[in-house]
Amino acid sequence: MRTIRVTVNGTVHELAVPPRMLLADLLREGLGLTGTKIGCAMGACGACTVLLDGEPVRSCLLFAVQASGRSVRTVEDLAPEGELHPLARALQEHHGLQCGYCTPGMLMALVPLVESGGPLDPEAAREAIAGNLCRCTGYEGIVEAVVEASRR
Amino acid sequence: MSWVTEARRRWAGKRVRRLEDPGMLTGATRYVTDVQLPRMLELAFARSHHPHARITGIDLAPARAVPGVHAVLGPSDMVQVHPTVDILELEGTLKTPRATLPGDRVRYVGEPVAAVIAEDRYAAEDGADVVLVALEPLDPAEPLHEQVPNGRYYQQTVARGDVDAAFAVAEHVVRRRLAVQRVVTSAIETCGVVADYDAASGELTMFMSTQMPHLSRAAIAHALDLPISRIRVVCPAMGGAFGGKEVVLPEYLCAAVAAMRLRRPVRWVEDRSEALTAGAHGKEAEAELEAAFTRDGRLLAMRSRFLSDTGAYSSGIGAYVEFMVAANTVPGLYRLPAYAYDTSGELTNKAPLSPFRGVGMTTSQTAREVLLDDAARALGIDRMELRRRNLVDDGPWRTVLGEDYEPGSWRSAFERALELIDYEGFLPRQAAARDRGQLLGLGISPFVEAAALGSAGGAGGIPGSSHDNATLSIDLSGAITVALPTFSHGQGHHTTAAQLVADMFAVDPDQIRVLDGDTARTPFGMGTFGSRSGVYMAGTVERAGRLVRDKLLQVAELLLEAAPEDLEFVDGAIGVRGVPDRRIPLVALAGAAHFAPQVRAHLGDPTLTASAFFDPPRPTHSNGAIAATVEVDAGTGGVSIERIVVVEDCGTMVNPMIVDGQIRGGVAQGIGLALLERYVYDDAGQPQTTTLAEYLIPRATDLPPIEIEHIETPSRNGPGGIKGMAEGPASATPAAVICAVFDAIAPHASGVEELPLRPETIARALGG
Repeated sequence: MRTIRVTVNGTVHELAVPPRMLLADLLREGLGLTGTKIGCAMGACGACTVLLDGEPVRSCLLFAVQASGRSVRTVEDLAPEGELHPLARALQEHHGLQCGYCTPGMLMALVPLVESGGPLDPEAAREAIAGNLCRCTGYEGIVEAVVEASRR
Repeated sequence: MSWVTEARRRWAGKRVRRLEDPGMLTGATRYVTDVQLPRMLELAFARSHHPHARITGIDLAPARAVPGVHAVLGPSDMVQVHPTVDILELEGTLKTPRATLPGDRVRYVGEPVAAVIAEDRYAAEDGADVVLVALEPLDPAEPLHEQVPNGRYYQQTVARGDVDAAFAVAEHVVRRRLAVQRVVTSAIETCGVVADYDAASGELTMFMSTQMPHLSRAAIAHALDLPISRIRVVCPAMGGAFGGKEVVLPEYLCAAVAAMRLRRPVRWVEDRSEALTAGAHGKEAEAELEAAFTRDGRLLAMRSRFLSDTGAYSSGIGAYVEFMVAANTVPGLYRLPAYAYDTSGELTNKAPLSPFRGVGMTTSQTAREVLLDDAARALGIDRMELRRRNLVDDGPWRTVLGEDYEPGSWRSAFERALELIDYEGFLPRQAAARDRGQLLGLGISPFVEAAALGSAGGAGGIPGSSHDNATLSIDLSGAITVALPTFSHGQGHHTTAAQLVADMFAVDPDQIRVLDGDTARTPFGMGTFGSRSGVYMAGTVERAGRLVRDKLLQVAELLLEAAPEDLEFVDGAIGVRGVPDRRIPLVALAGAAHFAPQVRAHLGDPTLTASAFFDPPRPTHSNGAIAATVEVDAGTGGVSIERIVVVEDCGTMVNPMIVDGQIRGGVAQGIGLALLERYVYDDAGQPQTTTLAEYLIPRATDLPPIEIEHIETPSRNGPGGIKGMAEGPASATPAAVICAVFDAIAPHASGVEELPLRPETIARALGG
């Protein structure tokens, strides 16, 4: 076991973890933050995307020990007061989710872009979500939501 | 009074935002994989690495010695579990019962042979890695199942009309062979189960991925020899299924046995490589179509032959849905005086085939539309004109197979799709592009989709009763709860059911609680598959709602001393029409029903709960047409879709936003099937596409914007004019895209018989 010190959604945790434990498993199993989903465990689908020091990363491709000394943000932190994040609201408006399983990863992959970038056109939005797989929506509603949220 | 009459007033028919979304957008919605119970153990499987071999020995001891491992179950621990058998009864089927863990032989790569239960998934996989299975490879020619010596477990031949005579007099006969590839359903959430046994009550709770909670409950009870009353199936939320979560998997039964034996909750979550190797594969079928035409392009007859390689077992729902539906949906929307089919399924060393959205229909639709284009080219008739000469007017119509289609907008959807894609403008553009060496193509695919078959059946050649119930109740706070046996897993049923109920009781949808996915909280019904749920939901909810409304009206009648015809539901209350100050809110009515002396004296049973049954007399038939334009790179064979246009008619829409979502998602999957997705086994039966890096699901950049337009021809058969939809666009899209590609590369298309249309396939056809 290794001892790590990691900040998750603003709370500092000191934890003993097995060296081989994935960050996704630490978040889900260790901390009960099951909003982060696992879709492929090899970095291909993006469902497990979280922010590591503000940057989107695949939490299935990182070991928990690699997050030591760093700050992780998960989907649960997007709406601490229950008020939906603007991108989440746009996803609802544009029917950018159906089963909802890829949605937390979509949100975490796109939130930094939407918050810090300029307005996006549909082509750029399509490029931006190309790393996250969705099997339900055909991506159309997600593209619309990203465009709208980027212009707010 | 039907909800339809009031629906027009407020909620039904509107693009109401989904009630499901806030939970999903905040990470609060819990899926099976998120269920965590105290003392829960994790399960992992040791699986066959060989496609066909005799098991000569299994040594579980090394796995048991792995730190963290609690138990290892092998075939001998599962002998008391009844094998699973396909539930559909087609006469003449050679059944292939499936042992939970096979003791004698393995029949495909990925077949589970031992279950390792450990503290966590890491330890369980450590254990699974050291399960020793001695396998003696079997001759590939040896039958997989002794009772099916030639591998062909079901075959049906049907002939309607004088097919041979039609072919004898035909001026043109056109043949087309097309092999639809094996694909994988690939919901982003894989399958999973948490089995929890309560020794005190003897109840086994199965938190599991399933589209059909009640049927799964019965199947589990049968397999484990337990009374159905001791099984509870709970699906907290489900991350997509597309037909791939209809089967009670052997893995689920292993988790149940482990939980009962260890008296601890046991969880198994399929990982992606398991899902791709041994999960819900779909589609694979070879189609051969032959059509007889007059000189002027009128169809006289068709013959078809389908052969589906359905993998190692026909279990669960039955793999024959693939090739049976394919054979029975060949007529489509065309006048076909005579038709004969020969359809069969064979068993091979592959993962068992599961239903997949557009089951069978995708194959027949694709083969038929490609053949019609071939025929038009052979006869020198415009492709659209050939279709016009053979399309049936807007119905009703009895097909050559005796299926009764209700009316739709068959011709108008077809013509509208051509307008939207600008067929007339496309032809000169295509010709000009050809002169520049640029390959443009256009395809069209008019479709009809039967849904909500009901006990009378009558569509798709598949037997089996299909009906549902719903329970609606009003509690003492006046709040309405609806319990459904269907299970929403992306389709937004909570929202659509709430819209229907909101209109019946004049309340807002977000005040309505919708329950599904739990056999302890919902009445019996078949579940969610085959585009059935909207129709059944509307039918059952309307009937149950009417019973409760009637009782509330009785209460109001007593309290307001008004005639029933003067009462109306308005703003969460019942009031006297035209007298705004004479209203009683639902909460007061619910209280009065139970406690007010003047009501109790007259009302009798105060229960504000009703369950109602619905079994549609005939199927609904939605229809539409999909048109696509593509550009093919003459050098690489790569295809890019310029535009894709969908005209859809599913009758009255409860929530057009959700309908559009189903269309978009279906089109995306159809494009995947046409151009990207294929599951590959090598000649030795070893899977080659076991990760999402090799098995290509469409990404956002692979897809064009999807243009949608609606026509609403209300259903005669579905309640409130609703027609089931959600598979038509998925099954019709491949034909539109493939016909467009073939148009672009004509005359080089005739030799292309394999899907998907990969760049190398196209480049080869072009002589590159």
